[in-house]
Parts: sequence; C-alpha cells; structure tokens
Amino acid sequence: MTRSHTGLWILTAITAVAMLTATWLALVGAPPAAGLTVNETYAQRIIYFHVPSAWISMVAFMVTMVGSIGYLITSKRKWDNLAVSSAELGITFTLAAMASGAIWAKPAWNVWWTWDPRLTTYTVMFLLYVGYFMLRSAMDDPARRARFAAVFGIFAFLSVPITFMSIRWWRTIHPVLMDANNFGLSAGMRPAFFFGIIAFTLLYVTLLAHRVRLERMQEDVDELKERAAYA
Amino acid sequence: MAFMIAAYMVIWLAVFAFVFMMMRRERQLESDIAVLQETAREDMGH
Repeated sequence: MTRSHTGLWILTAITAVAMLTATWLALVGAPPAAGLTVNETYAQRIIYFHVPSAWISMVAFMVTMVGSIGYLITSKRKWDNLAVSSAELGITFTLAAMASGAIWAKPAWNVWWTWDPRLTTYTVMFLLYVGYFMLRSAMDDPARRARFAAVFGIFAFLSVPITFMSIRWWRTIHPVLMDANNFGLSAGMRPAFFFGIIAFTLLYVTLLAHRVRLERMQEDVDELKERAAYA
Repeated sequence: MAFMIAAYMVIWLAVFAFVFMMMRRERQLESDIAVLQETAREDMGH
C-alpha cells in the first residue's frame, strides 16, 4: 500500500467518524426548535443535513469550474478528471438537497414543491449539470470531450451564484438562514449546524479523492487497451 | 418524525449510491486489468 493510499484510508475513517457524530448532533444533540408543532419540530432537524448537502453541491460545481479552467489553460487530463469527478459529486449532493428539501417543505409549507425562486434556480442548476454529462457522453474523443465540457462547465457555474443569491434578490418563502446582520439559528443549534458543514466538507473531499483516483485508473486502463490494440 | 427519518434516509441513500457506483466501476476496472494482463502474458508466450 502506498503512502497516499494509506492517507486516503485514514481520511475515509476520519470522515466516517465525523459523519456519525454529525448525525448524532443533528438528531439528538441539538435542542428542539421552540414555537413549532410536533411535526415541524422534527422536520426542522432536516436542515442540519439539508443545508450542508446544498452547500457542498455548490462547492462541488465551483471545483468543476476550477478544473475546467485548469484544463483549458494546461490541456492536462488531471484537470478534466477533477472537473468531472466533482460534477458527479455535485449532482449527487444536489439530488440529496432537493429530496430532503421537498420532505422538509411538506410539513413546513404544506406542499412538496413550489416554483419558488430558490427551488426554480436550483432545478435549473441541476439540469445544467445533467446537460454537462449529456455533452460528455456525446463525444468519444477524450481531448475534444474535455475541451467542450470545460467550456460548458465554466458557463454552467454562472447558475451557482444566481441560485445562492436568489433568496436575497427575489421575494421567496425559502428561509434565509444567514445574512449580513442575522443568523437564523439559536446558540444551542449552531454546534450541530457547523459540525454538519465540516463533516459534509470532509465527506466531499474524501469522495472526491476516491473518485479522482478511480478516474486516473480508468485513464491508465484506456491507455493500456490502446497500446494492446496497436501491439 | 416520519419526515425527518425520510429526509435523513434519502441523503444517506444518495451517498451510498455514489459509493456503490464507485465500487462497481472499480470492480470493472480490475476485471479489465486482469484481461489486459492475460493478453500481455499470451503475447509474450508467442
């Protein structure tokens, strides 16, 4: 086992412990919200995982943009690997945030879904990154695929700040958890919330490291296959 | 309470689905490597 391989497994173990602790804090450790019905009080605990999922989805798409810029500047495959790996994680966390948000919305808003500015922009962002994968799957030549996907990855990122700011720019029923002056959680709830953000960030970094390693392996196998075909 | 449990389940499910997908790809790559090694061995034998 190489040193980097060992490091990756240590990181994986730390992440597992962090995620279990975050789950305990969210479900048991954090105090119940005051002034809500029983259903709403339980549903309120969804935010400890919903917000980090949404946050990580946006971070992941930002990393895709960085990888895309890196590829266009250097033409090195490692940047494209980073971009595609991060986009896959972004899609995963977007789905997690959308599903958990819909489940929270039912007891809080009495509907599973509404065309609120945040929900609408988030859906547009999700569809743009589905388009990113459709574009990639339509091209066989790796260099051409990476170049087109990089350009798309940079433009698709424009949807991320719009989604993030949508609840501040437009009238919306989606809660604004924090702005310049206020933070919408009581002091007792903050440890669970911030620990959730840290645990999810660790989870993202760990999964990304594994996913990039897999992409590198795929690249090596493709190269060997090509060589075997010409031999 | 059912809403809370359902929300946590879908998030964990998404994470596990991603991990499962990576494990499947890794298995596929390992079998590809085994085939390549076998081909290389056969080529060296001729």
